[in-house]
Amino acid sequence: MKNKRFNLLLIAVVTLVAVWSLWPTWRDYTYSKQLNSFGSTQDSLKYVMSHREEIEDARKKSLKLGLDLRGGMHLVMEVDQVDLFEQKAWNKDAKFSTIMQSVRAKAAQSDVRVIDLLVGEFRNENIPLSRYFYDIRNSDQEIVKKLEKESEDALNRAKEIIRNRIDQYGVAEPVITTQGSRKIIIELPGVSDENRVRNLLKGTAKLEFRLLREPEVMVRTLDRINTYLAQNSLPVPAKAPLPPDSASAPAPQPGSVAAPPASKPSSANPLYDLVGIFQNGTAYTSEHSRELVLSLLRRADIQALMPLDTELLLAAKPDVGKNGEKLYPIYLVKKAPELTGGVITEAKATFGSQGVQPEVLMSMNSDGTSKWARITGANIGKRIAIVLDGAVYSAPVVQSKIPNGNSVINGIESLEEAKDLEIVLKAGALPAPVRITEERSVGPSLGADYIRAGIQSLAWAFLAVSVFMLFYYKKAGIAADIALVLNILIVLSVLAGFNASLSLPGIAGIVLTIGMAVDANVLIYERIREELAEGKSVISAVTQGYDRAFSSILDSHVTTLSAAFLLYTYGIGPIQGFAVTLMIGTSASLFTAIVVTREIFHLLLAKNLMSEKSFG
Amino acid sequence: MRIFQKTNFNFIHNRKIAYGFSIILLLAGMVSLVVKGLNYGIDFRGGSEVVIRFDKNIDVGEIRSVLDAAGVSGTLKQYGMDRSFLFSTVFQGDTGQLKSLVSNALNDRIRSNHHEIVRIDAVGPSIASDLKWSAVKALIASLLAILLYVGFRFEIKFATAGVVAIFHDILTVLGLFSILGGLFPFMPLEMDQSIIAAFLTIAGYSITDTVVVYDRIRERIRGQKPSDYERIFNESMNQTLSRTIITSGTVLLSVFVLFIFAGPAIRGFAFAVFSGILIGTYSSIFVAAPLVYDWLKMTKSAVRLRGSKQP
Repeated sequence: MKNKRFNLLLIAVVTLVAVWSLWPTWRDYTYSKQLNSFGSTQDSLKYVMSHREEIEDARKKSLKLGLDLRGGMHLVMEVDQVDLFEQKAWNKDAKFSTIMQSVRAKAAQSDVRVIDLLVGEFRNENIPLSRYFYDIRNSDQEIVKKLEKESEDALNRAKEIIRNRIDQYGVAEPVITTQGSRKIIIELPGVSDENRVRNLLKGTAKLEFRLLREPEVMVRTLDRINTYLAQNSLPVPAKAPLPPDSASAPAPQPGSVAAPPASKPSSANPLYDLVGIFQNGTAYTSEHSRELVLSLLRRADIQALMPLDTELLLAAKPDVGKNGEKLYPIYLVKKAPELTGGVITEAKATFGSQGVQPEVLMSMNSDGTSKWARITGANIGKRIAIVLDGAVYSAPVVQSKIPNGNSVINGIESLEEAKDLEIVLKAGALPAPVRITEERSVGPSLGADYIRAGIQSLAWAFLAVSVFMLFYYKKAGIAADIALVLNILIVLSVLAGFNASLSLPGIAGIVLTIGMAVDANVLIYERIREELAEGKSVISAVTQGYDRAFSSILDSHVTTLSAAFLLYTYGIGPIQGFAVTLMIGTSASLFTAIVVTREIFHLLLAKNLMSEKSFG
Repeated sequence: MRIFQKTNFNFIHNRKIAYGFSIILLLAGMVSLVVKGLNYGIDFRGGSEVVIRFDKNIDVGEIRSVLDAAGVSGTLKQYGMDRSFLFSTVFQGDTGQLKSLVSNALNDRIRSNHHEIVRIDAVGPSIASDLKWSAVKALIASLLAILLYVGFRFEIKFATAGVVAIFHDILTVLGLFSILGGLFPFMPLEMDQSIIAAFLTIAGYSITDTVVVYDRIRERIRGQKPSDYERIFNESMNQTLSRTIITSGTVLLSVFVLFIFAGPAIRGFAFAVFSGILIGTYSSIFVAAPLVYDWLKMTKSAVRLRGSKQP
């Protein structure tokens, strides 16, 4: 008797908790319905203002919909650990770069930790790690330990930086987690401007101040590359040539484009088909040839032609020519930066002095300020390029010594871009480049379709299964159906209570649960029928039925649960959603299908409402 | 209501027929797997997929020619049954570029019929190979877990036969995917993550019916002579036949609903689970229990089972 009362109490508590946990979801639904019913935006705004707390509270505690249902972006980013280890190494030579190349090739193929690949590769070559990493006296194990720590730090730092950037960008409820040794998973619900997010996340924000070499040196360098290309008759794919223009121009005014000896056949001057030079020594390339020039500049044989410790970089943003063509200036800068972005303490996007050009103001810490003062003092009249992620944003001429550490990045196209740059600079530089390796985005209209499809499947599956149970087991079917309703309630409420989100695969899991949850009842009822057929009384048949069916119910639930658990452990993203609902549903059915239906039968038996016919 | 009043099939006597049927089924699948192979989705091969939806009906050929003219190479297929199309192409780091390329081409050339890009997925090759590995790991781990659990609850012969039956079920479904892959436009049957989920669901559920039969055998076999085993096996299977079929039936019912209503993203999964449970029900009666019987007959010793109750 006592036990029975306990079970009833348990059922009541579970039901209440489930309803209580789903209450905010219901409130959220009614609020948004009410808001949609208002005729004007003013009315709805007024309503929101007066009910703000309730609405926000309901929204916060309500059942979240997954990315696929509400639309949004799912990104997997990978921290380039090969690059990270390369940064950590010293004494780098040709051997080292071949090793790293093969590590990189292997890393692209598998999910094995990069550090393990690295160690394996060094072991194959029989080279101690200490030749390139840390101290020569360190053993391999010590170095591996240090590098492991570095890569772990890098992953966590990258995650924090990405979180900072996203927080400042303003996405509601982003989820950012790490997976394995080099992956960061980012979920951004309701993001509409995917391109902007992508750029924001990818930017490594490696900000450097680098000295520009003299224009003559650059022209000589370009000449050398041109001659080299012509001599080796290396194929530079012919692309749209530069717009021809008047041959003389006093200054790099936009539009005053000086065509190089462009009339010559393309084979004679392969480089100058892509690159033009102003009279004052400023070089540029057109938008069409930009990719081509960039790939050219990345080639090792071309880089060898540049003066020691320098490289050619392109501007991040083009100047607009007279005819509207876009021209990207080319700069020859020193490889070693004078100062790096780590010294930046504050960044602010604003409009420039004329009020139209967006720019970013930066201030530096004391260390940076003193260095900056020395650098600017020593290079008055020279140009310093502000380089962000390998692209030159601006290359101002140093007019005077800057004692206070304030500098400006201009050459930015829109205020939006300036704002993003501000975010990136403030959040700091990523420790190593990150790449997007997986991206899934769902538009809101498809999400709405998914919701409709999900609700339809749920409704039809419930209807089909519950009608079948009624039809096949008569009165006992009612108990099973009540248990089924409670089961679905529990699944939804656990999701809402633990702040997990419901996705389309999750709904599929619930639909599957509907079919599986009644299995326990089928096993019990079939057993009861058998007992009744042996001529037992209803009361003892029910008791025996529950007792004897229990072992096979338990076995089947344990196997389903373990499969779902493994699916959760090894699966990712959408599959985990499915596994979670299946796990909750299966566990809940142990309670609903066994305890709840049994109590219902006890009540009915006590009131003499059950007979042999009640089990169909 | 009752579907099976009292059956008296001689399952054990006719088990060789079932074995033959299963072997043919498996062989057909294997041959198709070797000859035709599987249709891998982007989850497993890497690549980009764009789902484009149009406002009005449109011919696949028209879109294809527009995309070809724009220089976007890839395959275009009808997606689901509404005016949606799935365009898949090799992996490009920047899906934004792909999106604008496709969108611009369609906007320029098919003006009268507005389109919307409703979904973009891009999976890099390294992720794709990771996914394959974790899928294989998950499957092996779940089979091991089931082997251990059933071995612990019953006996190792029972557990092994159960796992063999699961293998049978999964391989048959895999074979079906190979044979039927690409045959139906509404159901391309590509191998992706959700199919792995389906396999694990099948593995977890296939043993359910098997356990029901085992449970009954355990209950009745206690203290019986090996010469009575054939009768006990047969009676047990007949007695549990009704519940075996109804438990599977309810699940099949809900999976069928999924297949019909849940849309193209879930359809392959629903198909896999549906056929897997159908075959799993068959195999628990015609494969798992008969295998145990054969094994017991070969060893000619009385079986000791754990946890059996007094009848």
